[in-house]
Amino acid sequence: MTGSLPFFVLGALLLLGAVRVVASRDLVHAVLWLGVVLVLTALMFLLLGAPFLAGIQLLLYTGGVITLMLFGVMLTRRHHEIGVDIDSSRRLPAALASAGLFVAMASAIVRTKLPAWPPSAPIPAIEIGRAFLTDHVVAFEVLSLLLLAAMIGAIVLGRRHDFGDEPEPLYGKGHRS
Amino acid sequence: MTPIDCALIALFVPLAAAFAIAVLAPLRHAGRPAAWLSVAAALISLGASLVLLAQQWSQPERVVREVVRWLPSGAASLAQVGIHLDGVSVSMSVVVTLVAACVQIFSLGYMADEPPAARGRYFGYHSFFIFSMLLLVIAPNLLQLFAGWELVGLTSYLLIGFYFQKPSAAKASVKAIWVTKFADMGLLLGLICLFAVSGGFEWTATLSEAWATTITLLLFLAVVGKSAQFPLHIWLPNAMEGPTPVSALLHAATMVAAGVYLAVRADPLFAQAPNTQMVMAWLGGFTALFAAVLATVQTDIKRVLAYSTCSQLGYMVCALGAGSAIAGYFHLTTHAFFKALLFLAAGSVIHAVHSNELSSMGGLARRMKLTSAVFIIGALALAGIPGLAGFFSKDLILESVYEADLLVPWAMLILAAFLTAFYMGRVIFLALFGPFSEASEGAIESGFSMAGPLLLLAAGSLGIGYFGAQFALLSGGSYHFHVGMSGMLGTACAVAGLLLSWLIYGARRLTPQAFRFLAPVGRLAESGLVDRFFEFAYRRGALALSDAVGFFDRYVVDGVMNCIGWTTIVSGRRLRGSETGNVRDYVFAVVAGAVVIAFWGLAR
Amino acid sequence: MTVQALLLLTSALFCMGIYGLLARRNAIALLLSAELMINAVTINLVTFSRLAGGVTGQVFAVFTIALTVAEVVVGLAIVILLFRWRREIAVDSANELRH
Repeated sequence: MTGSLPFFVLGALLLLGAVRVVASRDLVHAVLWLGVVLVLTALMFLLLGAPFLAGIQLLLYTGGVITLMLFGVMLTRRHHEIGVDIDSSRRLPAALASAGLFVAMASAIVRTKLPAWPPSAPIPAIEIGRAFLTDHVVAFEVLSLLLLAAMIGAIVLGRRHDFGDEPEPLYGKGHRS
Repeated sequence: MTPIDCALIALFVPLAAAFAIAVLAPLRHAGRPAAWLSVAAALISLGASLVLLAQQWSQPERVVREVVRWLPSGAASLAQVGIHLDGVSVSMSVVVTLVAACVQIFSLGYMADEPPAARGRYFGYHSFFIFSMLLLVIAPNLLQLFAGWELVGLTSYLLIGFYFQKPSAAKASVKAIWVTKFADMGLLLGLICLFAVSGGFEWTATLSEAWATTITLLLFLAVVGKSAQFPLHIWLPNAMEGPTPVSALLHAATMVAAGVYLAVRADPLFAQAPNTQMVMAWLGGFTALFAAVLATVQTDIKRVLAYSTCSQLGYMVCALGAGSAIAGYFHLTTHAFFKALLFLAAGSVIHAVHSNELSSMGGLARRMKLTSAVFIIGALALAGIPGLAGFFSKDLILESVYEADLLVPWAMLILAAFLTAFYMGRVIFLALFGPFSEASEGAIESGFSMAGPLLLLAAGSLGIGYFGAQFALLSGGSYHFHVGMSGMLGTACAVAGLLLSWLIYGARRLTPQAFRFLAPVGRLAESGLVDRFFEFAYRRGALALSDAVGFFDRYVVDGVMNCIGWTTIVSGRRLRGSETGNVRDYVFAVVAGAVVIAFWGLAR
Repeated sequence: MTVQALLLLTSALFCMGIYGLLARRNAIALLLSAELMINAVTINLVTFSRLAGGVTGQVFAVFTIALTVAEVVVGLAIVILLFRWRREIAVDSANELRH
């Protein structure tokens, strides 16, 4: 499945989705477009011969991360703030910086002599599982510890803190330098 | 007892005494024990020096030298220190220790009225002086001589300012050290040049005439300061603020002679620089005359003797300028005896009448027979009356200067001889003869401790002159006594001077008013022009230069530092603006940096 | 489909993520942009894994995904804290590190 056409279509859609993620004024739209991008990425993985990874991507990312993001958006909404949050003063420098970076990377890529694609051979999931439990078992265990730590950290951070009766307003109380 | 052992004893026993007096406060505060310790050390030192002289007497050519390396640098050493015993240094050691011992014994009586702690201090300084002077005398090279030079300068400062509670004494000691320090610059620069040119500090170096002239002129500057030649004579009259025995030892016999001693030692160098010798002869001659003129108008007996010392040192310098180191050195030795004698006798007189002024004295010959007798002996020796010590050495100087074709300096010396006799006669007739003053009526003769040294020095003044030949052998030359035209003329002038002084002050046949026409000379001499010139030079010259240097230091040197500091602060303030606290700005910086690096990497 | 084209694609995605990181004020939007970047990198990983043969690259990619999830979790917790503190989630408000 390495014909050119699916790849180009997928690539174009990915680019479009990415643009919509960073350029959407509505936060919810941005999150949803990210979801689209992630799904497309999963398809890309399939094209590249990593079916297990595609499944993981769909499960964790599209299922987990997007949901979390949506919760986050909902929990932190202020009614009158549905709207502009793009900092117009920074658009041009940011665009220049990222464009510059792209130009730099692109010229590097174009100049490099890269090998050709080997024939497609999708890696079965069992191979990945075997690798996890033999070659990379230490990393695997550490990863579980890390996930545990992240969970505990999130719970600790998310506790109800006592900020007093009123949350501190940003302005009007004098600078706190 | 090897010669080196004797030299070490002579050198270090006084130092040990001085150290003990300095460190052991109870000893010093007790007064009398400290004095005896110092006198004992001086006598031991004298004994050792006499042993050396006895050994050297029979072998005048002998040179004993023992040096150790000092300031090692690499395989060689920068300098050496040690002991150098030849005819000159041995004889000078004897002179120094003998006069020092006499002065210390005299001081036992003279300083008896001082508080014990002050007396302890006094004798400690005296012992230290013997050490310093001997260090200078037996130095094997000019560097150690310089060390001894500075130490005797320090001792002079301490002793002139002995009565430091008196403002005039404190100022006088500072003036002395200031003027001599200025002159010591010459010695230091001369030593540096000598080292640069010849790689060592020996006085036997061979130099080109240009270098020899430069170095010897610099060394001569030090001589001018230390031996109080014009125009750096200004400190010597003020140095009379110290106790009279100090004046006898330091500022008559030994310390001021150190300048002449330097010239004698470095004579091989001076011989290579005839131009410097010409300068020396003229300056010495002028100083001899100038100081003699000043001595005739003083009313303070010590000041008369101070200017007289100046004048006689001028004789020695002139002799060295004429190329005759033997004559200069011989006169140094004889002068040590009779000048110390004169000072001590004057001290005896001052002690009796409690005043320095000639007006307080008069008719003392009837009250203090011994003192007056030795004073007259000393004065006649100074005047150069035949038979006494001064005659032989002065005669030798006059002959040498004449033979070197230095006629103007010779004439100045002759005139100075006339004046010397005149002013000494004046002192004698005013102080020892004539009517009593209130103070002198009740004067009594001094005790034995003060009289003994007087007698000893008087004997020296009488007898030393006859040893001229042996002396010359010790100094490495020869001497053949003969009275030539210069000698006779000098003697005639001396007699004439004495006669004139008798006429004016003794028999009162003439009055000073007859010489009114010479009054402007006296006024000019007294006006302190040299002092005022130095003050002017200091205020306008040195202070102005200091201001300029200070300005440079504050605004340029410090200015650079301040600028750097200011730049740091201002740039820090400006750069702080980049810490906006806004995370996105930091991310932007990271990205921008990454872009730059990427492009730079691509471009290579 | 060449490797070059794929790499160019992922570079473009990455750079767009950077643009989003720099230009957006909303904290969650920043997280989204970061997600985009990581995603692009993951695609790169898989590409090179295929080029090199073997399974290591994909294992690495799994790790990356797991780590990213952990990061999102903690990041959102922080965003919620920020919201509670300042009542809004514009990151401009978190500027206490200013001089």
